[in-house]
Amino acid sequence: MRTFKPLPSQPAPKETVGAVNWIRENFFSSVGNSLATLAILMLLAIILPPAIDWLFLSANWQGVTQADCTKDGACWSFVKAWSKQFFYGSYPSDELWRINLCLLALVAVIIASNVLHKDWRNKIAIPLFLALPFISIVILDGRPIGLSFVSTDYWGGFSLNVLLAAAAIIIAFPLSFLWALGRRSDMPMIRSVCVILIEFFRGVPVLALFFMGSVMLPLFFPEGTNVDKLLRVWIVLTLFMSGYMAEVFRGGFQAVPKGQYEAADSLGLSFWQKTLLIILPQVIKISMPNILATFVMLFKNTTFLLIIGIFEMLSTTQTALTNSNWLGGHATEGYLFVALVFWICCFSMSMISSSIERKLDTSHKK
Amino acid sequence: MKRMISVIATGLALGLSFGAQAGTLEDAVKRGSVSCGVSTGLAGFSQKDENGKWSGLDVDVCRAVAAAVLGDADKVQYKPLTAKERFTALQSGEIDVLSRNTTWTHTRDTSLGLNFAGVNYYDGQGFMVSKDLGVKSALELDGAAVCIQAGTTTELNLADYFRANGITYKAITFDTSDQTRAGFESGRCDVLTSDQSQLYALRIGLKDPSAAVVLPEVISKEPLGPVVRQGDDAWFNIVRWSLMAMVEAEFLGIDSSSVDSAKADGNPSQKRLMGTEGDAGEKLGISAEWAYNIVKQVGNYSESFERNVGQGSPLKIARGLNAQWNNGGIMYSSPVR
Repeated sequence: MRTFKPLPSQPAPKETVGAVNWIRENFFSSVGNSLATLAILMLLAIILPPAIDWLFLSANWQGVTQADCTKDGACWSFVKAWSKQFFYGSYPSDELWRINLCLLALVAVIIASNVLHKDWRNKIAIPLFLALPFISIVILDGRPIGLSFVSTDYWGGFSLNVLLAAAAIIIAFPLSFLWALGRRSDMPMIRSVCVILIEFFRGVPVLALFFMGSVMLPLFFPEGTNVDKLLRVWIVLTLFMSGYMAEVFRGGFQAVPKGQYEAADSLGLSFWQKTLLIILPQVIKISMPNILATFVMLFKNTTFLLIIGIFEMLSTTQTALTNSNWLGGHATEGYLFVALVFWICCFSMSMISSSIERKLDTSHKK
Repeated sequence: MKRMISVIATGLALGLSFGAQAGTLEDAVKRGSVSCGVSTGLAGFSQKDENGKWSGLDVDVCRAVAAAVLGDADKVQYKPLTAKERFTALQSGEIDVLSRNTTWTHTRDTSLGLNFAGVNYYDGQGFMVSKDLGVKSALELDGAAVCIQAGTTTELNLADYFRANGITYKAITFDTSDQTRAGFESGRCDVLTSDQSQLYALRIGLKDPSAAVVLPEVISKEPLGPVVRQGDDAWFNIVRWSLMAMVEAEFLGIDSSSVDSAKADGNPSQKRLMGTEGDAGEKLGISAEWAYNIVKQVGNYSESFERNVGQGSPLKIARGLNAQWNNGGIMYSSPVR
């Protein structure tokens, strides 16, 4: 019996393999390309050595006071000394476990929603998600469960950026879904209210909203009633986020083929059954990339809180720079560190988001 | 329907008036702390350290009020505020006293519903030049390039002063004080102008602080002091006299170490301030030991000044205008009698 024996595959032509050829192909394929490569190499040669020297070689790593910064390079002692403030703000040192617990809970819920069986996911992970902001507030505040009271004046640092962004996103998710739904409604009253809300919170800069929340709003309350500044900011941030997400959701709604709506109707499903069981899953799948991009944006927007005197990470850095024991001009070190921390977080968020996208991609495109 | 409306209206009116009638002193005592608006960060005036502890000349006013009212200088709730928020926070009742390097001006005093309770630091705009320039007075600065922070009154004062003296200059504006300092350091300008208290802080930040000098001229008046809401005179008196007690204690030679002996066997004016004679505390509606507590826990004005901005701090600001009136300055306290 004759069997089919394919010929062994030929090696690629010599001039297209090997490191040298790869470099030639990618960096020096044309005159313009070669010039660009050379220019960039030259730029790197100028910038990198002093940068590396400043950042690492002659940097100060030891000690926790300004006096320890004797060498010419970066003064990382500054970051080291202020690291507790950078991450936890002025939260009492003995109570830091409460912040860690909240951060852990956040991570746990995110993991749970990924690994739980889909029958359980909706019943457990979603309610947990929605309850998380309120549970965190109770734990951090401490009064309702008999822990020592920590006023929001002491909350701060990077953990505040993370928790505030998470709390705003979690509440904004269902809210924006409702707004998007309302915008597509046939009922004129509901529709116009939703349009006004969405357009207002999308059309006004987030800085202006923060100012409104912190400077204008208190004047409308009767004297003596104080709504906590952080609470006001949380509400503002949530509404701002909802405005953006509602538009993302609307795009998702419009992308679902009309046949899906009609099919659901012909099966005799009620409005909410149709929306929650047929449309919503498809909307979420379609809008996931945009939702996650909006998350990253909101997370970075939390640094704007520095303009209203809330000690999130960036304003903690500014405060640290004005301490009279640290007046040596450590702005570069401080801001670089903040940038690095945010970059790491945002980069991992986009990694996670692309893995979620792959997971949700059930289409049959080839 | 009509009845319902009137019930609601009465309820609202009651609610509002209850809110407005409770005095700040009672609120603070009930809360167990004084809520004090401070700056989010200003070297020597209100600054946070690595452990989240507040200190500074402005912070000491908060501490003095807490010591007078509650007997414990640590019972202060610090509310860090930006320049834009500060007056709203006070008007809305979020804070009891604002101690945030706020300049006492006519407009602020008359149109914001606020009262300035005194002055805890006489500031003014000054100049810093590099030593190499060899300039001894601001009047020699003709044609100089001046680094300024944009959008501040500093800019206007500078224009006024140079025009009045017929001096030409070239303004180079920056957004933040860090950038302003960097501009000065890199030699983009010969002169840096800002409030004097800031100049000293900026100078320390230079790579070589000794290469720059602060000129003696002060071209504007910036009296900084604590502010309270209008319409609560009892509280106004407490804040005003908490500040005065610190100045008066310095004048009478009482500091935190000699406070006990002054209380027990000082001269009559010392005893009156310390509460062993007279009824100064009672008239303010607070403990007789109010001033004793202030000096014991916070110190007199001189101690506070030297610790936060003076020789005991990296800033090394000279007393200047802020010395006692009998010592070449204008710090003056009314007698406690």
